Amino acid sequence: MEIVASVANASKEYKTGDTIITALQPTTCDFKKNELTLIIGPSGSGKTTLLSLLGCVIFPTTGQVTICGQSTQGLSQRQLAQVRLKNIGFVFQGFNLLAPLNALENVMQPLLLLGIPRKEAKERAKEALKKVTMQDRMSNLPKMLSGGQKQRVAIARALVTNPSLMLCDEPTAALDIKSVAIVMEELKMLSTTSKSVAVVTHDLRLKQFADRIIYVNNGAVSNEPKEEEFIH
Amino acid sequence: MLKTAFKFIKYDRAKSIGVVVGILISIFLIGQQIGILGFLTGLMGGIIDNSRADIGQIWVTDNITQNANQLTQLDARLVQEIRSIEGVENTFAVVAANSIVKFENGKTATVTIIGSKAPMFVGGPNPYKINKGKLHNLLLDKAIGAEFFDKKTFENDVEIGKRIEINGKEAFIQLQTKNARGFGGSFFFTTLSKARYYGNFPPNKVSAIAVQVKPGYDLTKVVKRINTTIFGVRAWEAKELKKTTIRFLTFSSNIGTSIGSLVIFAIISGFFIIGLTLYSSALDRIKDYGTLKAIGATDGYVRNLILLQSVIFALVGFSLAFLVLMGFKNGVQRSGLVINYSLLEVAGLFFITVFISVGGSFFAIKKINSVEPASVF
Repeated sequence: MEIVASVANASKEYKTGDTIITALQPTTCDFKKNELTLIIGPSGSGKTTLLSLLGCVIFPTTGQVTICGQSTQGLSQRQLAQVRLKNIGFVFQGFNLLAPLNALENVMQPLLLLGIPRKEAKERAKEALKKVTMQDRMSNLPKMLSGGQKQRVAIARALVTNPSLMLCDEPTAALDIKSVAIVMEELKMLSTTSKSVAVVTHDLRLKQFADRIIYVNNGAVSNEPKEEEFIH
Repeated sequence: MLKTAFKFIKYDRAKSIGVVVGILISIFLIGQQIGILGFLTGLMGGIIDNSRADIGQIWVTDNITQNANQLTQLDARLVQEIRSIEGVENTFAVVAANSIVKFENGKTATVTIIGSKAPMFVGGPNPYKINKGKLHNLLLDKAIGAEFFDKKTFENDVEIGKRIEINGKEAFIQLQTKNARGFGGSFFFTTLSKARYYGNFPPNKVSAIAVQVKPGYDLTKVVKRINTTIFGVRAWEAKELKKTTIRFLTFSSNIGTSIGSLVIFAIISGFFIIGLTLYSSALDRIKDYGTLKAIGATDGYVRNLILLQSVIFALVGFSLAFLVLMGFKNGVQRSGLVINYSLLEVAGLFFITVFISVGGSFFAIKKINSVEPASVF
């Protein structure tokens, strides 16, 4: 399967005063097309750091991150923003829909940032909302939507630019059981459309949707659970 | 981006109203003070403004005068002497005499009687400032012209035919001017001889000499020629004397300092009120701006989005402030406070609005620039 994103010996350290905190130890892993990868680990384990590296919102301290064949090393903030815009769709734990904009306008935003004319952006955003069955709520502001609906709008926003990589940070954490299933089904379905979907979670119930699981603990990444808590 | 900026403004209604009201108050205060300063400086230069500056292009005063409202006496023979200088077409004596006017109800007031020769009346009033009556009415026996807006000061009407006493001598209002006023005193216009009579002004003296320049002669050169030829006087271009008078009175009366400091404080307070409100609004939307950055917006895009909001605030705030200022202008006009805004002043007010609003947004931009896209995870 074609590799969409990869991290090669990438690590992340943060300095606080004289103390160096290793958020992620040198890690190598690939994310492939048509694959839903779960990144599982307890809070503070480094899974969001891994996601942030993949999302090009932070630079690795060592190693390299490659997105769609392009290394992010040495890229300016502006270039990184372009990489994110063109290749990556984000789904956040807290939905992060822009509060002043309605569902349709939220989904249009990435397209407008890409410079797509408003009319075309509107049509494509409507299509994306239809895919997540939110076409009836497109004129609603986020505050008028339930958690599950917000997350579906967020998914529509993430997929509207047809990115190769979708990064989801605890996408089900704020949802009820019914909404969890709906959202995960949608993400699973998206992963079959030539995308690589990476989902960060600490919810082991999501394993059933995964094609592959990466375990993260104390900043170390492995393909097998090393601690008992992962087995539950 | 424009639509998104509008949506952000609309969503944060309370703070948006706060910003617009802040701009409205600041710009109204600044505009009001500038308008009042304009009105006062208009009064300061009133003696020139009310005269026929189209004829009396040069004014000759004593050589220490800095204020056209306080003219000392000159030898009347200078009127003929100056007429002989090359480039001078004609000269006109102007008498300005302080007097006490008494109305039939016993009310008294101080006035400056301005007299100049008929039929030109170079000392004033300017024909376009005549409200009632005709200029040649001043030739009538005991005739003077009084100012419409001074009726409040006099606590008497100033209608045609009204009998008054000037320095104990009977006079009649035969002409009414509108907005031909002086700074700190009312003007009565009349002929040269009547001004001397009512003002107890010596017949061999004048207050100033208005000079008409021959066509084709350079005004500056004639001014220079008078100054070098005649000892003890100073010739001014009329507009220069007006400017010097305004400058002198603005600083000596502290009006400039007082109004200037009010304007500066209005700008500073507006800048910080609007700046902090925009900053607070940006803090409320920090997650949204962070999200925009995370999904691929550049710092430049986010900065422009905030700037655009501040420009919209400036446009709306300025429009409202301008409307309120026009209301204020029309409201006070009836009571004699005649305020006019030049295009330059309006442009200046708009520039200040943009400065306050866009400048104030830099607090917000600085904060949002420091937001990392990673912060949304």
